[in-house]
This record gives sequence, structure tokens and C-alpha cells, in this order.
Amino acid sequence: MQLKATQLDGAKLAIINNRFEGVARKMANTLLRTGRSGVLNRARDFSCCIVTAGCDLLAAAESLPIHVLSGPDLMARTMLDFHPDLREGDAFLHNSPYHGCSHAADHTLLVPVFDENGVHRFTVLAKAHQADIGNSVPTTYHGAARDVYEEGALIFPAVQVERDFKPIDDFVRMCRMRIRVPDQWWGDFLAMAGAARIGERELQALGRELGWDTLAQFATQWLDYSETLADAAIRKLPSGKTQASSTHDPFPGTPEDGVTITSKVQVFADEGRVEIDLTDNPDCLPSGLNLSEACSRTAALIGVFNSIDPNVPKNAGSFRRIDIKLRENCVAGIPLHPTSCSVATTNIADRVANATQRAFAELGEGVGMAEVGAVIPPAAGVVSGIDPRSGARFINQMFLGFTGGAASAATDGWLTAAHVGNAGLCYQDSIELAELYQPITVRERRLLQDTEGAGRRRGAPAIRVEFGPTEAPFEIGYVSDGNLNGPRGARGGGTGGISQQFRRQRDGTLEPLPACAMVTVAPGETIVSVSCGGGGYGPPQQREPARVAHDVAERWISAERARTVYGAKL
Amino acid sequence: MRFACDTGGTFTDLLVEAGDDLRMYKAHTVPGDPAKGVLDALSLAAADRGLDLSALLARGDTFVHGTTHAINAIITGRTARTAFLTTEGHPDTLVLREGGRTGPFDHSVEYPEPYIPRALTFEIVERVDPSGRVTRALDEASALAAIAHLRAQKVEAVAVCLLWSIVNPAHEIRIGELLAQHLPDVPFSLSHALNPTIREYRRASATAIDASLKPLMTRYLGGIEARMREAGFTGRVLVLTSQGGTMEAADLARAPIHAINSGPSMAPIAGKYFAGLEGAQANGEMRDIIVADTGGTTYDVSLVRGGLIPTSRETWIGTPYRGHMTGFPSVDVKSVGAGGGSIAWVDAGGVLHVGPQSAGSVPGPVCYGKGGTEPTVTDACVALGYIDPDYFLGGSIALDREAARKAIETRIGDRLGLDIERAAASILELVTENMVQAIADITVNQGIDAAESVLIGGGGAAGLNSVWIGRRLGCREVNFPEVGAALSAGGALLSDLTAEFRAAFVATSDRFEFGAANAVLASLTAQCAAYAADAGKGALATEISFAFEARYPSQVWDLEVPLPRDRIEPSDLVTMVAAFHAEHRRVFAIDDPDSGIELTGLIARIRCRLRESGLSRLAAGEKPSGSARRRRAYFAGHGWADTVVHRISELTPGLAQAGPALIESPFTTIVVDPAARFRVTASGGVVVTP
Repeated sequence: MQLKATQLDGAKLAIINNRFEGVARKMANTLLRTGRSGVLNRARDFSCCIVTAGCDLLAAAESLPIHVLSGPDLMARTMLDFHPDLREGDAFLHNSPYHGCSHAADHTLLVPVFDENGVHRFTVLAKAHQADIGNSVPTTYHGAARDVYEEGALIFPAVQVERDFKPIDDFVRMCRMRIRVPDQWWGDFLAMAGAARIGERELQALGRELGWDTLAQFATQWLDYSETLADAAIRKLPSGKTQASSTHDPFPGTPEDGVTITSKVQVFADEGRVEIDLTDNPDCLPSGLNLSEACSRTAALIGVFNSIDPNVPKNAGSFRRIDIKLRENCVAGIPLHPTSCSVATTNIADRVANATQRAFAELGEGVGMAEVGAVIPPAAGVVSGIDPRSGARFINQMFLGFTGGAASAATDGWLTAAHVGNAGLCYQDSIELAELYQPITVRERRLLQDTEGAGRRRGAPAIRVEFGPTEAPFEIGYVSDGNLNGPRGARGGGTGGISQQFRRQRDGTLEPLPACAMVTVAPGETIVSVSCGGGGYGPPQQREPARVAHDVAERWISAERARTVYGAKL
Repeated sequence: MRFACDTGGTFTDLLVEAGDDLRMYKAHTVPGDPAKGVLDALSLAAADRGLDLSALLARGDTFVHGTTHAINAIITGRTARTAFLTTEGHPDTLVLREGGRTGPFDHSVEYPEPYIPRALTFEIVERVDPSGRVTRALDEASALAAIAHLRAQKVEAVAVCLLWSIVNPAHEIRIGELLAQHLPDVPFSLSHALNPTIREYRRASATAIDASLKPLMTRYLGGIEARMREAGFTGRVLVLTSQGGTMEAADLARAPIHAINSGPSMAPIAGKYFAGLEGAQANGEMRDIIVADTGGTTYDVSLVRGGLIPTSRETWIGTPYRGHMTGFPSVDVKSVGAGGGSIAWVDAGGVLHVGPQSAGSVPGPVCYGKGGTEPTVTDACVALGYIDPDYFLGGSIALDREAARKAIETRIGDRLGLDIERAAASILELVTENMVQAIADITVNQGIDAAESVLIGGGGAAGLNSVWIGRRLGCREVNFPEVGAALSAGGALLSDLTAEFRAAFVATSDRFEFGAANAVLASLTAQCAAYAADAGKGALATEISFAFEARYPSQVWDLEVPLPRDRIEPSDLVTMVAAFHAEHRRVFAIDDPDSGIELTGLIARIRCRLRESGLSRLAAGEKPSGSARRRRAYFAGHGWADTVVHRISELTPGLAQAGPALIESPFTTIVVDPAARFRVTASGGVVVTP
């Protein structure tokens, strides 16, 4: 092998890649440790990444898959389109689902990075799910919103918010008038700005040290290398055309039988190429469930990356081998303003990813995955009210417990996967911190026996969380898919437990609650939230006896289920 | 005479100090019988002095001991059969942990099993709220029923962690009484007493780990002390703790979680001392220090910030999110799988990787000739002429240089289009980068500017690439102490007797309860005083320091900030808030000066100084080799260079030279490339300006 003079060798590529990943990780560490809202600093619902001057995703800190695969590229592009006169010291806030952001709750700060000659070289992004964004109701997931007006979020399509490294006060005043608990929002904004500026500083140091042209050359070669690995990974799959569907439960604004999402998958193994077609899906709905373009693309990509060699880098290079077909005005496509995309990162997006990975599983043994459980149950809802201890307003998304992990061909479901777009990256709340920061009491948090999707590899069990207010009522908003359509198994694997939600009244009776709602809960009452389990992979009768015995001993399944579903002789 | 001993995975390091005579020994660790490795090393020391073992031991007054016994027991699953008692409704704390994951697309890794099985988890009817109010009384019948199960299931240890026991421990205390009464022979740990921190998983995990180690560590520590006594030792037996201090062996047996990081926690103690000797100061303050300890398979990084050694509760046994978080304060040590044994390989896309696979000691690097076929970092160093094939570990193993070169050529060079030398140099450059990233991770979390810091190279393999690591980080100096190859044992000799007392204390700066805070501080001070009167009896000096943990409202990651004295008055509070803002800015680059702060905990630490002076130079263990030798060595950007080779024991303090040079001892080789300069310190170490 002979290298051209300007070509970087395989050792240099590895070293420079380490440097870029180090920058992204440093940004993420900063954001995690300085964020003020629980959704950010307790749950880690954020991402940090670097895109090239040409808006190609190059490096990301490990973060929620739905956040980062596609979106940063689109957002960086709109920043360039709207601001052809970028200057060092600028920063832009972006949360517009019509211009590349995932959904309005994911405030994203973009900072263009310049070399010594004022040439724009890279853009760093820090994206964080906010505790509140000024919606018409106190939740960042407005599932029932008929359009963006009813949703009510302040939308920032790459709006300039810093000049000469200083926040522009106009935008700060606007946000303070419209976002609930503004000090919390401001603390989170500072954390995002700190992370982005650290990324900028580190990249500039890297450019000075190694030379900007070397970094540009690296980006070109690294994306080509990533494409090579994607090519090799896809060549290991069986060729074929297949499809699978996954149905979202009926919600306000959807047809009565819910929304069925179909993902058509075609693998061209000899070309090292995959095609995902999402065009044969319903039109946009008068609801908050519609996907942004970023989430449509990303959800399809998640289904693909869950089905191929995990060592393929996730960046613009490997994406070249994955064709995603979308259409405008489609619930899993490209939304047109004023369609609401309030809940774009979870519900329908999860159906897209789940249908895609289950379609892959149809291609052959050992490929693809079962479905991860649907969300967002009340235990992961947005809670708000007045804290009786201080008299102050509070609002925050909680992560009291959701499981949902789907089985793969090799392993049982990852217990704390949360949902397919999350993959378990988020933390789950400490009961003590949750009770300290919100005026709530958590009576129970318990994994439920016999709720796993059975299989040769089994899904995660469901979890039940019961919680209520202390001395003053609170409001809780949630969008709990999976009440009717539990997580389906793959290749003969079983369906995992469904989600449910109730209000326990003062006399102890359980009142069923709607799947998508804002509920006011009075002292003495509690919410009982059950989240989905995960689907199984392969026939349960093929599960090894030792694994079945362990599941019984550990109370994951009952002896009865071991006998009847797994065919075990105990 | 003082003995300091660090039992590692491969070697047991021993330093023996008698007045100003200091000597180093290494014996092989005996995995099934760690005490044997210790006695073997002591026997080497006895033979060196022409004494028998009992005569040597009779002269000893202190034996300080670091051990991996506790952590090895956890990794290999040899801990006690332990049960978990917790609040009803919340049985899955150890199963759910705190969530989080690495490798979200890697479906080959199973979700980790809980530290204590669900089958041995028991729910107790009781509940306390965040204010400490009992909202559900302890149902003793439920506790007694659980205890009956424990007996029936022949449980060997019990961990008790109830929600909010840190605010009101009455229920945990009562369960402890019931356990003592009904299961008198089964040791137990109570979370509020062991690890008073908020977040139930961290408290439960620490308690579970602690309880599970009690039977084993009681036997081990009792055994090693008994064998030392039998062999003639009459002095004091101390054990190194995760927090960088020492404890009496008997105390440690009562809280064995302290021994989890025994050993690696000592590296920063030694690093601080040696950096201090070389006047690592800036503007009258001690520079920050990065201490790296390079072994065959792991690279451990720890820090000294502003003269203090930072601690962390986020200490993982095993890989983050896949292993177990101890949740217990420990010297913050970041470990990555990178060392001399790390394997270099080229992937399908033509990109080089080093690690995470390691050749270990069996088969070991290709050059060992024991069947290894994949080139390692050690092979690269041999190929480049840095390691003398005939003087590895003092000549105890002859290395096959040609085999190393051949493996690098066929498996790396040919695939990357590089000649052997450039391929080998690339392997070193990449492992260097991996180590640099490990340092970057810990320094950003602890708010240290690597470029303003001194790098201490410890461990047998440190010398091979620490100069490049230092250059890459922009460090002014890289300091290789003379005892660097046994850095933890060196730290053990220097360490003080320490104890730390913590109390959860939640308060905001705008509604601060001074009386309550001062009551907590008075109680912590009293605990320190009791410790000084007991374990610290006979110390040369004692010193108590205070700190508080705080954050901005609704943040969840605390920063520790020193507290100037043992009381908090309104004027102190102003100073504390200002100090917190400054610390937040220093660590995270931002602050929010208009915001109040929340205190979450108060800490008192006592140090009892055990020694008067610093360490002496090592006595020369080798015969002089005569004049300096030369060897060909390859340096990236320079090519092959005829390079002077020094024996470290023969260098004169004060000597200063430009590179290239190779400086050897039986335990390590320091590579000084042509761009660097080195000087020999009065304490026998080498300081390189990278």
C-alpha cells in the first residue's frame, strides 16, 4: 500500500480521531456536571458533537442515539443558510423541527469554530432536552397538540443568541417571560454555552497544533474509512427485501385504531448498501406525534445500526451506505409547518426504529432485534406545580423508572433501555433525589414478574412505579404508548408486557387513566405507572435450561411460566 | 525499621527503610496466598542484610500493607453470601442501579447482574421521608421474618440500606440490633453509618460491598497479621485505604470497603512528595500534579490539586455501567486498559488500534517467546531499541527482538504501508494518545489544567512513553522518582494515619441554619479527637481539616470546597459562597454568581503524622557496569540515533544533559528523545523537560 503525500496513514487517523472524540467527551462532561435541571444532570438527556464546515457529522460523545445521528448536520446547514456572515464569538440557538432539530424541547446551541484567518472550519453542537420550553401546557411532550400553535413552544430556527462570546439580552428576556422556572432554564443555557465554548477552545488548540488542513484531510479520510466499515458490515448481512410494521396506540388526533408504521428494508449485500423506505406511511396528523425530518432519519438509522456490527462509526461516512426514503407531510417523514412535532423523539420514532430492526430480523437468524418497549409512561412524565416546602414553582421531567430492553440474537434485553431511541444512555432517578427535588413521594418501584417478552433471549420485564404528591397537588403530563400494542418479539420471540396507568384514589380504588393526558393529582392520591417490557428473540422453548433456572431463582419469571412458556422441566 | 508492601496483580513490591537506608525488593505475588508473596519479599530483604526472617522482622516497628485482596475477591466472585434488607416497595435498587450504559449499539454485552441477587433481597415495612419524619413505623415482625429467612438460607453477611436513613437512621439502627441479637455470628453493615450520602443506590452498593467483604477480609487481615507475628514481627500492622491513608488492620476488618483501592490510592501521596522535592511551585502555590502509574495491563491516573488529593464516589469496580459503582469516597483514580501488554492491530478499514486486548503475562508480548503472536507496546519498544533485550527486568528474561520486529512488520507495517520503525513508533504514539485521553478525562472532571501541571511517571513501564505524554499535554516537567517502579509502596512509607468523618447536611445559603451546622461540625470534631486519642496515639502531630460539599440549586453533582475552620458564622458563609463560585468556575469554566448555593455535606479529616522526614535514596543494589554504554534507538522524525545508555544508579545528582538518552534500572527504562533534556535530582530521580 502506497500513500499519497497528503494522505494520513492509519495510525495518524486513529490518533486524530481520538483527539476529536476527546473534545466531544470533554463537552459532554462539562454539560452533565453543570446542568441545572434534572432531565439534564440526573437523566443525561443531552448530546454533544462536532460537524465539519460542510455540515457532515464527524464525532459525537456517546449519547442518546435519537439525539445525534441525523439532525446536527441539518441544523448546521440552516445556520449557514440563515447566517452567511458568521463571526467568531457567535452562537445560535436551534430547536426548530422544520429546520433540522429533533423536537422543540431539544434546545441546541451551535458554535461555529474559526481558524486564525477567520475561516469557518467546524461547528460544535450542544443539545439538551429542557425542563420546560414555554409550551401551552406544562410539559415538553404535548401529545394532543393539533399544531405548533396549540403546542405553544417558542421556536428558534438557528437564532443568534451570542455575539462576541456574550449572550444577547433580547433573547434572554424573551425566554425569561415565557419559560417556566426561568432560573432553571438560564442555568441550563449557561451549561450548554460552557460546553460549546469548551469544544470551540479545544478544537482551535487542535487546529493550531496539527494544522487546519490536516484536520480537514482527516475528516475526509475518516468519513471514507467509516463508509468502508459500513460497507463491510452490510456485506455480512443476507441480501433481501423485507418489511415490518409497528403500531402506535390511538391517541388524540390519530385514527381510532392508532398509527401503523411500516418500514420497508432492502439489503443489497453485494453493494454494501441498505435502503429504508418510510414513504408508505400515513400523512401528518393533527397531533404532537409527527416526526421531524431529523427524527425520521435517525429512527431509521437506529434500526439499521442495531442490526449491524457495532464497531461501524456513526457518522456521515457510514450514513452514505444507508438510503432513507422519506416524503413530505408524512407522520414519519418531513413535516410541514405548522405540524406539531412535540413528541418526535419517542413515540412514532420508536415505532420506526422497532419496525426497522424487526424487519432486519426477518432476513435471517442472528440478525436484527425485537421491539423495545414504548413510552412515555407517567413515571417518566413531566411533573409541575408549587412546592409546598418553598412556595416556588417547579417543573421537570422525571426518570423514575422505565425498562423496555429488547432481546437481540445474542443477549437478553438491556434492563434500563428506556426506549429504543434512548438505548439505556439516560440515567434513572434516585428515589431520594426525586423526593428531594420535587414534592413527591415514591411508594413503590418494582420490576414485575412474568412481563418479559419470552424468547431464546428474553426482553426486559416491565416496571411499576407508584408516586404521588406530598402536601400540595401536582400536574403530570405523559404520552404512554404501548397500552394496547406491547413490544413484539422477533423470530418467534414473545411480546413483552404492556404499559398501564392508573390513579389510586384515596379509598384505594384504581381508576384507569387515558394514555395521553395531563392529570392533576391531589394529596392522598397516587399515580400507578407501568412501563412496557421488551420483546423476545427466538422461540422461548430454545432458551437454555440454565438461563431459565436462573430466571426462576431470581424471580424474573414464575415456575409456572417457565413450564408453560419456556417448556422447562424444573 | 519500617516495611511498606504493595501486593499487586503480578508483583509484590517491598520497601524497607532503616534510618536513612532505603531498599526496594520485588517478589512474585502468589494469587492463592498473598501473605506468602509478602513473606517472600521480606525474606529477600532479610537475605540482603544477611539476617534470617525473624531477625529482620524483630527489628520492624511498622508494617504498612496495600492489598488487592478485596477487589480481587469481588472480581472473581469469592465474596460472602450476602443478603440485602431494604425499604418495602423498593427491592430493585441494586438491579436498576442508576441506569446509564456504554456502547448503546453493542448487543453482545449482557446487562450486569445485581451485586446481591434478587433472591437474597428482603423488603422491610418502614418508611422515612426526606425531612426525617417516620411516615410508616418499622414493622419489627417483617424484620424478624426476614431474619428467619436469612438464617434458613445460611446467609454469611447482611447489608441494610433503607430510604432516607441518612436523615433518620432509627430504623436501620433497630434492624442492626435485631440482627446482632438473632444472628450474632453474621456480620452486617448499615448504610447510614458506613456511607452517609444521598442517592440510595450508591449507599446500598457501598453497604453491600462492605458486608460481602467482611468475613473474607477479617480472615485475610487476621491471617496476615498472625503470620507476621509468628514470623517474629511485634510492631504495628497498618493497611492502606482507598482514601490515601492507613488504618489499623483490625479497624479495616470492620469496614473493609476501605481496602477496595488500597495501593493505587497511594500513588498520588508519593507523587506529591516527589514533586514537592523538585520545588513544583508556581506563584508560591504547589503546582497541580498528575500521577501516572503504568503497569503491564492498566494505566492508572490520579491527581494532586492545590496540594490536595481529590476524591470521588464514582469509583467503578470493572467497566463503568457494566461493573459495580462503589459509591464510596476514594482517591480519584482513572484506570484504562493500556500498558506494555496492549495489543496493536489494524482493522478492516486500515486503521490502527492499540488495545483494549492485552497479551497479559501469558502468552505475553511476542518478544517473550512464550507463544504470543500479536505485537504489543512492549514489542514496539524492543523493536525501536528502547528496551535492551538482555537487560529486561534486570536480565531475568531474555527477549527476542527479531520476533518482535517481524510481528510488527507483517501485522502492522505491511497493512499500513509503513516500515517497521514507523509502524512501531505509530503503536507507541497511539498508546500514548490513549493514555493522554485518560488523563484528559480525569483532569476535566477535577478542573486541572494539564499544561500547568507536573507529570509523575510511576510503574515499571512509565519511562517508555511518559516524556511524550508530558509533551502532548504541554507539561513543563516529567518527574521519574527513584522509587517510581514501586510508587504505591513509596506512598505507603510516606503516608499518614488518616480518618475521614462525613455527615450529610442539607442547607441553602439564603436560609442557613448556623446552629445546626455548628452542631454537626462539633460532632465531627469530636470524632476526630476520639480517633486521635485512640489510633493516633503517639503520632508526631495531628491536623484536622474541614470541607463542605455544595452545588447550585437543583444541580446534582457536588463540589468539595475547603472550610477554613471548625465553625460557620455569617461572615464565614459569605466566604464559603464566594469560594464555591470560584471553584465552580475553575472546574467547569462557568459560574452563576447571582445564585445561592446548597450545602449537602460536611467533612472532617484528621491526619496523624507518623514520620519526621522524607525518604532517603535507594541503596545501590547492583554492581557498577563501568562506563556508559551506547545503543541504537529509533526516534520518530529523527531516525536511528546512536544513543547513550545510563544506569540510573550510576548517575550523579545534578547531571543535566540533552537527549537522546536511555536511562535504565532493573525495573524500568526512561526514554529521553532528542528533543528533550533531563537532569538527575538530589533524591536520585530523573526529571525530563519534554
